[in-house]
Amino acid sequence: MGAALITVSTDTEFTHLAWKRDEKELADVQYLMGADPTGTVSKLFGVYDPGSGLALRGTFIIAPDGTLFNSEVNFYNMGRNIDELMRKFKANLYLARKADEGCPSKWKDEGDKTLRPGPEMVGKVHEALND
Amino acid sequence: MSEMINGVRIGHPVPDFQLNCYDPQAHDFKPVTLAEQKDAGKWTILFFYPADFTFV
Repeated sequence: MGAALITVSTDTEFTHLAWKRDEKELADVQYLMGADPTGTVSKLFGVYDPGSGLALRGTFIIAPDGTLFNSEVNFYNMGRNIDELMRKFKANLYLARKADEGCPSKWKDEGDKTLRPGPEMVGKVHEALND
Repeated sequence: MSEMINGVRIGHPVPDFQLNCYDPQAHDFKPVTLAEQKDAGKWTILFFYPADFTFV
């Protein structure tokens, strides 16, 4: 897909290896496991919690030119929905090709209805989405 | 929490960073930078979580 998924915690890369080796749930893991023991990258993205020295559950999508397209941060005890992450990622790929369109909240994949903002849409979003 | 300073903004360039990674496919360690991701024309998804050996 031309993307690299990197998981990041304040553990070291050596701990990542040990966790990957021991936890059967991670047997199929292919993605890079990033180490941020100093919290430098976590601080850059605003997810570092100084009280615990740990990173909050933040997800960030960065375009190939280095522009930040999405950010989502949850507190410790709330898990993320991988389908929503993929929806956002696919929408980004689509919009990178069709910058004049918009992907509404229910857009899931290529072929779903998009919006093209313009004078005729003002006050007519309902019709644009449902016609 | 109020001490947190968000150094990145939506729609703006992310400053370069480096992460030392464990690469399960190569079963090896390697540094990864945003700069090399950009050079390769790749999207980057960062997925932060609190700690290994807990649920993600």
